[in-house]
Amino acid sequence: MTAIEYLDLLLKALLLAGVYAAMAVGMTVVYGVMKIVNLAHAGFLMLGAYFALEMFQRFHLDPIWGAILAIPAFFLFGMIVHWTLVRWLPKSDTPTLASLLLMFGFWLVLQNMGYLFWGNEDQSILTPLTLSAVHIGESISIPKVNLVVFAAAAVCMVVLQVIFNKTWFGRSMRAEIQNPYAAKIVGVDDERTSRLTFGLGTAFAGFAGALLGMLYSFSPDFGRPFLLRSFVIIVLGGLESVSGVALGAIVLAVLETFSTTIPFPWYHHGWNYYYLPPSYQPVIPFALLVVVLLLLPKGLASLFSRRWKVA
Amino acid sequence: MSVPANVRRWLKLILPLLLLLALLFLPKTDPGDNVIRMLFLTAVWTTTSLAWNLLGGMAGQVSFGFAVFFGLGAYTTALLMHAGHSPYFGFIGGAAIAALASFLIGLPTFRLRGPYFVIATIGVTEAVRVIMNNLDITGGSSGYRIQEDGPFRPLEHYYTAIAAVTLAVIVSTVIASSKFGLALRAIKQDEDAAAAVGVNPYVSKLWVHAIAAALTGLAGGIYARRAAFFYPGDVFAFQTGILILLMPVIGGIGTVWGPVLGGLVFGMVEEQISVKFPNLHLMIYGSLLILIILLEPDGLLGLLRRLFRRRTRENPGSTDADKVLWGRSSA
Amino acid sequence: MRILSLRDHFGRALMFGVVFLILCMASAAAQDTITIGVVLPTTGSESKPGLYQKEGIELAIKQINDAGGIMVKSKGKKLKVNEIFYDDSTDSKKSASLAERAMSADNAVAVIGGYSTVLGIAESVMADRYKTPWITTGAGATAIFGKGYQYAFGSLSPVALIGTTSAEFLGAMIDQGKLKKGLKIAMVVENTDHGTDYVTGFTDWSNKHPGYFQIAVNEKFELGATDFSSILQKVKNSHADVFLSDAHLPDYITMHRQYLQNGLHHQMISYGARGPEAAARQALGAGTDYIFAGIWWSNKLPYPQAKKFATDYKAFTGHDVDSWYAAPAYDGMRILAKAIETAGSLDKTAIRDALKKVELKDSVLPGQVLKFSANGQAEYPFVITQNKPDNKVDIVFPKDAATGDPVAPIPNK
Repeated sequence: MTAIEYLDLLLKALLLAGVYAAMAVGMTVVYGVMKIVNLAHAGFLMLGAYFALEMFQRFHLDPIWGAILAIPAFFLFGMIVHWTLVRWLPKSDTPTLASLLLMFGFWLVLQNMGYLFWGNEDQSILTPLTLSAVHIGESISIPKVNLVVFAAAAVCMVVLQVIFNKTWFGRSMRAEIQNPYAAKIVGVDDERTSRLTFGLGTAFAGFAGALLGMLYSFSPDFGRPFLLRSFVIIVLGGLESVSGVALGAIVLAVLETFSTTIPFPWYHHGWNYYYLPPSYQPVIPFALLVVVLLLLPKGLASLFSRRWKVA
Repeated sequence: MSVPANVRRWLKLILPLLLLLALLFLPKTDPGDNVIRMLFLTAVWTTTSLAWNLLGGMAGQVSFGFAVFFGLGAYTTALLMHAGHSPYFGFIGGAAIAALASFLIGLPTFRLRGPYFVIATIGVTEAVRVIMNNLDITGGSSGYRIQEDGPFRPLEHYYTAIAAVTLAVIVSTVIASSKFGLALRAIKQDEDAAAAVGVNPYVSKLWVHAIAAALTGLAGGIYARRAAFFYPGDVFAFQTGILILLMPVIGGIGTVWGPVLGGLVFGMVEEQISVKFPNLHLMIYGSLLILIILLEPDGLLGLLRRLFRRRTRENPGSTDADKVLWGRSSA
Repeated sequence: MRILSLRDHFGRALMFGVVFLILCMASAAAQDTITIGVVLPTTGSESKPGLYQKEGIELAIKQINDAGGIMVKSKGKKLKVNEIFYDDSTDSKKSASLAERAMSADNAVAVIGGYSTVLGIAESVMADRYKTPWITTGAGATAIFGKGYQYAFGSLSPVALIGTTSAEFLGAMIDQGKLKKGLKIAMVVENTDHGTDYVTGFTDWSNKHPGYFQIAVNEKFELGATDFSSILQKVKNSHADVFLSDAHLPDYITMHRQYLQNGLHHQMISYGARGPEAAARQALGAGTDYIFAGIWWSNKLPYPQAKKFATDYKAFTGHDVDSWYAAPAYDGMRILAKAIETAGSLDKTAIRDALKKVELKDSVLPGQVLKFSANGQAEYPFVITQNKPDNKVDIVFPKDAATGDPVAPIPNK
């Protein structure tokens, strides 16, 4: 492969990273503040995609507007879910099995509702933008939809950064992330912050889901591969910073895209170069996950384990 | 209804034996193939529930990765049978390979704490699934078909499964009442404190993981033999891993009979739900899970205890659920 | 007596629910009907084709019952069909379990089911075990048949023939001068039995007819991938003339979107058995133009019974027939009915013997005759359809079934 082709793949990987970052942000925020691994995130992604579909089919709204409208809709939805289900979970500084299973149960309910409302067809959203691309020279082509999604994801991250740093809500979120007990002492209203955080996380999930709906076809059990990848990104990039999510997304996307193109040496009747077969591609995120967890257990763990023991 | 302590202890011994006798003599009453089939499935899933409970309920280490052991048990049994060995040798081989795998997985991952361990176990399952999908020796993504000569003997499978679940119950009871079990409970409550009083958490976790894996591998082999077909997307799936842990949680985590109840409910009831309510079974399943988590973390066993012994939430029957589910010591 | 809390109420309700469900296990079978079990996925990843197959079977059952039922000589009268349907959620464990349930507890005289190879293999085990005839209308991989099974049948022609027919089609294009000899082929297939069989079928034909094709790329990908950039780059670099893939619908959509976004172009494109699906049109618009597919049935087939089937289907379900899924299921049920009638009794072995010999002479499938070959699998020709602009689809091969001319090579935009 020539250098230009590598560049093309690199650009594709970066665009993919944008997609991954968008979908992981929602989960990161909820995890960081509430220490809840939100397995229902996949369900929210799915609902976001269907929301965009409905906006597109009923009101002929371009899916990007559908995505923007999804934000307030899902913010409200998230707060309702929190008020009815999530707030009963006790606070803890490590994720509990109860939260995992509760959200898993909720995901099953969301899937079933999806089947009931929309049936099991594979749906997709086609706009004039979907199939066109920006071509630079012979070998480089950048699909326009991916650019739009990347831009949307970038804006999303900037907004989150602003919220974190400039608003009171953002500061309470950061306080909770660092140390929930100390946050309470300095006057952060835990209940309210949790509710707003969950709403925000759900809003991001709905937004990301709508964006994903522009790229891929979806049905009510959409979201599982993205869920697993979000885990990996959270672990890679750390939890509490937006740049962490971006970093994790980039590392994952680049590794996945290039895994089948970089030859690696292997001894088999003499030294040879082998290429990873594409059917092994899904192992990459998980192999990466395990390796990172093993090599940096203290490094990333120090961000995680808030073993605050009341003296 | 208050029962004196010595009568209660005698009951605890005799009731399980009566249940076992009932199960052993059930085929004589000619209940039909379907009942035998459902009891077989119940027994297999109860074995995995009890196995998971050893690591998750007693030692407090939540693993989403037990599907790996189930699948390895299935494949090992299938391959050994293909090589001409008896299925029982295959089952033992499956258990052994699963235990070996548990060491390979546990050695690195037990150094991780809390959520990292959980996520790592999910990662391992997925990686194994994709690798098995690509290996040609085991049939790759098309799966493996076990050919057995001779007619189908449902009772043979049934009795093998009953034997497996009996073994699992015995192992669980022995561990629960032994010093090893005490060490595990100490690790669950507070790993550092346990280490301070002389327990080696790392080694203990590895051993209980191996026992749990062996039982799960056994169950996987027994299941595979009867189903006669399985493929990586089924035995190594993320959903299988979740299923294996859902049953002890629904049944009652930490106790010996909780997982049995969970396996029973799952084996008998789940199919009924998906048959009677085909469009709603996901919702029913999910709602049930939500309700149990929120209202009765001690699972069905806790519910039963509450109904028959008037225990209230303020006087909890077991502190195990609190620790494993909620991550705290009960007040 | 203390005051019952919410928890207590929940507990009691749960206990009653569980006991109720366990007691409900005995299903009362209506007397004087023929019980047929149907095990298909209507939730999970194969839910859409599963649903279409269910609709095809139920249309056949409705037509049979409206005519009074199936004549069973041993009972001296016509008996209606009682369908027991189970959704296996695309889970092979459930597939096998539910097939067993139908064959044992429900006393089905036959079971139809198994959409997709793995669900099919799982169910096929039960056929011989319970000595109950089993027909798969959705699994075409050869791995299921030919193992000495006596009770397993399949109404889908072998998948390998899709590859062979595609090769024949391209070969015919070469012979007609529309394409040049020595075509470079890039094959990118899913990592399943379906994909493997497709490749085998194609390469078999290619080896028997040297000089026509050169295989430049032969890769497999995992189901459900989100990014095909590196595979598509490989295809691009091979400078192949023809791009052949074999994929499920979601992967077809994702891959073809990325194919078009990358500005790839080949003289001919195929996605195996996928092409004219409505969902693909929805997702790709004019991007699906000129894609050809080797499928088991098309609503463009000129037979009167095929047209009647399409009309009846629309009246029954409210939507048009989408691609080929419902037709083999419809005929699978009809051939079963004919076999029961031929057998003259509800004895399962007699029905099995009848299935081995019976022929459905007004089949809607290509060739107009459905019969099972010695290993239990049906064998009838495939049709190649090609998508044409403005949402049209034409059958382009074989010539005697063609409704339009094949376009080869695909015009450049």
